[in-house]
Amino acid sequence: MKYLIFDAGPLINFSMNGLLDSLERLKENFKGEFLITKEVKEEIIDHPKTVKRFQLGAIRLEQLFNKGVFKLADLNTEEVDELKRLRDTYMQQANSMFKTKKKPVHLLDKGECAVLALSTIMKRKCKEDVPIVIDERTTRIIIENPQNLKKLMEKKLHAKINAKTETYDLFKGFKIIRSTELAYIIHKKDLFKIKHPKAFEAIVYGLKFKGTSISEKEVQALSKM
Amino acid sequence: MIKIEEQKHILDILKKVMDALQKKDYIKIKNLSNQFVHHSSVHQDADVISIAVIIYSLSKMLEREDYKKEKDWKAFYSSYLTTIKRMIKALEKKDDKAFHLEIEANRRLLEKLSGSLKSNMKDVLNRAKINKASRIYEHGISMGKTAKILGITLWELAEYSGRTGVGNVNLGVTMELKDRIKLAEEIFK
Repeated sequence: MKYLIFDAGPLINFSMNGLLDSLERLKENFKGEFLITKEVKEEIIDHPKTVKRFQLGAIRLEQLFNKGVFKLADLNTEEVDELKRLRDTYMQQANSMFKTKKKPVHLLDKGECAVLALSTIMKRKCKEDVPIVIDERTTRIIIENPQNLKKLMEKKLHAKINAKTETYDLFKGFKIIRSTELAYIIHKKDLFKIKHPKAFEAIVYGLKFKGTSISEKEVQALSKM
Repeated sequence: MIKIEEQKHILDILKKVMDALQKKDYIKIKNLSNQFVHHSSVHQDADVISIAVIIYSLSKMLEREDYKKEKDWKAFYSSYLTTIKRMIKALEKKDDKAFHLEIEANRRLLEKLSGSLKSNMKDVLNRAKINKASRIYEHGISMGKTAKILGITLWELAEYSGRTGVGNVNLGVTMELKDRIKLAEEIFK
């Protein structure tokens, strides 16, 4: 069985862009499960259902959840405890990775760290990498090039950052794709209902404008692929 | 508790805000609120973040003439400024507790309003929070962490930050697009 784990951002993004039906069709094509954590469910369904402005989007996501398009990982009590421990370790390590002269900068929250923890546990269970769909920039940079985050923060904060480089290794090896790459696959499999020569480019821009961290250059390149 | 050096920094900015108010330099007020973003990103202190939101909101309130026609506007605006003046006094006396209480008092001003002014001011404050959150996200703090610090939803932050230039920063490109596409293709083969 294959697994793909979703952070909250991509599901919110697909919902806000009215693309959830394509995600459902993609799931039918996928020989495995789309998984979320409890923290992600809280962020995409439970909490926004109480906020009028986002209620509709949350209800749409809840319908997909109820249909089993994406689901909570099936973990036993020990694995749940392990997930919490791992989540807290990732959080503690990420939040002490960079220090200004004054104090460590807290970078990640429970939600993002729980996604990493779930990927680690599922990788051990199924003995292969369990990729993550994540749109936000910080977690992705910590995984793929933490030195870039250090540079970015030094530039933005106008301050020297001291890095605990030995923590970099803990975050290495996670496989990351974004909503935009997911959209590319949906497009190539011809699973988008909307048919128009400019539709794919418009979808990629729609995803960028609702939170996928992707550069203009990448959008242009992706639209032509 | 806010450290002494931060207190000095906040005091300095609040005084500049009052000065800019007298000169009706509303753009300067907005810029002054951005000076808190560096601090907010590192310290993630609720009071410091509240000050950034209070100042940014003030600049937005003053930009709009229609608010000033509302019957409770004068009393609200006067109370709003009074809380800022009291924050300055508290910081001058290095009275952390009084400073915090004035931030609370400022927050409670909304509760006394009613009708369209209440909903407009609520909207201004919420937009200010989202604006500050987006700035903190730009500084390298994750979306989840930022949303939590500011007390907003990921939905609001995703919507707003998508319109900023976060994705276009070169340091944010951490893998060749073709390699990420290859990875996606492998997942779905």
